[in-house]
Amino acid sequence: MKMLFERFMAISTADPDDTRRRRILNILLVSIGILSLLALAASLAAIFLEVQRWENVKLLIIGSIVTVLGMLIIYLINIFWSGRVAATIFLVFLTLVFAFGDTPEQVSDGRSLFAFAIPIIMASILLAPWLSFVFGTMSGVIVSVIAVSIDRVPNIPAIAGFFVIALVSWLSAGNLEQALKELRDINLNLDKVVVERTQALAESLARERIEAGRNQAILNSIADGVIVFDRNWNAILANPAVRSMLEISRDQVAGKNFRELIQQPGLSPHGRDLLSAMMEHETQPPSFRIEWNGKTLSVSAAQVYDMRNDINVNIGTVAVFRDFTREAELEKLKSTFVAIVSHELRTPLNAILGYSEMFKETVYGPMNEKQVNMADRIMKNTKRLLGLINDLLDQAQMEAGKLTIQMGPVKPAELLETLHGLMDKTAADKNLTLTSEIDPNLPDTINGDAARLQQILVNLVNNAVKFTEQGSIRVRLWRPKENKWGIVISDTGDGIPPSEIPYIFETFRQVDGAATRLHGGFGLGLSIVKQLVHMMNGEIEVESVLGEGSTFMITLPLVIPEKVAVRRS
Amino acid sequence: MSELALIIEDDEDLANIFAEALRGVGFEVEHVADGKIAQERLKSGRAPFLVLLDMHLPHVSGGQLLTQIKQDERFANTMVIITTADARMGEAYVNQADFVLIKPISFVQLRDLTSRLKPKDQS
Repeated sequence: MKMLFERFMAISTADPDDTRRRRILNILLVSIGILSLLALAASLAAIFLEVQRWENVKLLIIGSIVTVLGMLIIYLINIFWSGRVAATIFLVFLTLVFAFGDTPEQVSDGRSLFAFAIPIIMASILLAPWLSFVFGTMSGVIVSVIAVSIDRVPNIPAIAGFFVIALVSWLSAGNLEQALKELRDINLNLDKVVVERTQALAESLARERIEAGRNQAILNSIADGVIVFDRNWNAILANPAVRSMLEISRDQVAGKNFRELIQQPGLSPHGRDLLSAMMEHETQPPSFRIEWNGKTLSVSAAQVYDMRNDINVNIGTVAVFRDFTREAELEKLKSTFVAIVSHELRTPLNAILGYSEMFKETVYGPMNEKQVNMADRIMKNTKRLLGLINDLLDQAQMEAGKLTIQMGPVKPAELLETLHGLMDKTAADKNLTLTSEIDPNLPDTINGDAARLQQILVNLVNNAVKFTEQGSIRVRLWRPKENKWGIVISDTGDGIPPSEIPYIFETFRQVDGAATRLHGGFGLGLSIVKQLVHMMNGEIEVESVLGEGSTFMITLPLVIPEKVAVRRS
Repeated sequence: MSELALIIEDDEDLANIFAEALRGVGFEVEHVADGKIAQERLKSGRAPFLVLLDMHLPHVSGGQLLTQIKQDERFANTMVIITTADARMGEAYVNQADFVLIKPISFVQLRDLTSRLKPKDQS
């Protein structure tokens, strides 16, 4: 019913003001039409019931019919043609009805005067605010003409009243229209904002979807396995590579906690320990290897930080798994190969060394000086080869990560004693003196890898002997700081050109090609020393003055074994 | 009769050099080149004063032979010198043997060491 009414009232126009006016006009037209129909019905009923006679209600009946028809015509104009025309006709009609609907006396100076206010007010609402003045003037003219026609003086205050009403109507309707216009502008602006926002949101959503899709595509296509954990170590993302690498299904990883994941039966117990350790360490863990379903996997984990607002917030961890099976096999093969080759090389070299020594020691009878000298040369060259093989083996082990530091109690005095035992003769052969001293502040026993420390000392002293033609080599063990201890090895040799100092610790390099020929040897010794020092969390530095000598300084963390510390306190 | 030194070493040249060094000091030298044969030899016969034991042997390892020597009371006074090319392995046995020599082993080094160990029966 309401819908039918709405449809009946509906106006199709783009101008909201026009729509509003025409709707109001429609309401008025329908109301008046209905009132007229009721009046017509009441009149006809009165005649039918013989309460009134035809003559008495004749005018009312005709008037009602005319009004209904008039309203219908205006309604049709309003709906299908123009609101302005319809409103103008309606108001003129209304004014004429008021002008001729009563006696001229009443119209010019009586009760009907007030009725003219109605079209004046309506004009401002239905047409335009300023038209209230037009209808005011029209009403004034009509009232005046009627007054004059019956020889009366027009009611000037009443006509002035029409203008006051017109003024008030004009002001209020104008204000109303202005307010409505502003409201519409606000709404329009609001609509625009909403549209813009909606569009921006849609665009950013689309962008995000593209970005997410691209990231997903990258993750899906990389060969490394990637699992992303949130800060509570729940897996929030896993790419297909990691699922096939670990041989687990999507359901076995999605949303699962890290602790659950490492309970997979394919994981070796050692790998489980390493992974648990990775989780517990809040600091950046290095990469390590685990065995999973017979595969060797290299695992590295990186914490993810949210840098927003300049505050580092840990929001999770990205774990990257790389299939290292083939590399691990190759490494194993390589280190086995190196071990076999070095053993196979060392045994015959040991024999050559032994036999040449026997010559030199004249085990099978005396030899002349040249022969003894030759045996000595054979010995020295053999030792050089053996040294080279040892270096190569160490280098290979270091590259394979197999050379490890094994800490234990070490007596610095014993290190020096062994060093003298091994190197005194080498130094003496070149008429060099090897001296050593220990800082009294250095504890008798410290923590360290005795074999590797010995290797460092021997390598550095060997190096010093090689590059020193006369003078001495001094070894000093000291304690530069409360928690540090150091090795200082100085020689009175050729020195190292400053431009070459940055390269002396490099693998396979020696200062100045000529020196290689003069002194023999191979550039691995210092490189191994540096790597060993770094594995012990130490530092190595070198100072050198050309023609005066070089000084190698090693600084290592000083840890006193607990048993000793207790005994001392 | 001079003291017996038993050389258990699979490399013929090294065994030769070691034997020469030990003979030079005055030992009577016996050489076995195979782990299994060494195992048999240690079951009977004269107890050596000194065993020069290679860790890397065919058939039976030096480690097994060392255990056998340590468990046999007849060898209570026998000194064991381990010879190995593997420094780590040498460290592992340092408490079970009297001496550990890391290869390459010098003729002079072995001669000087054993000469100190040998009882001075002549002088």
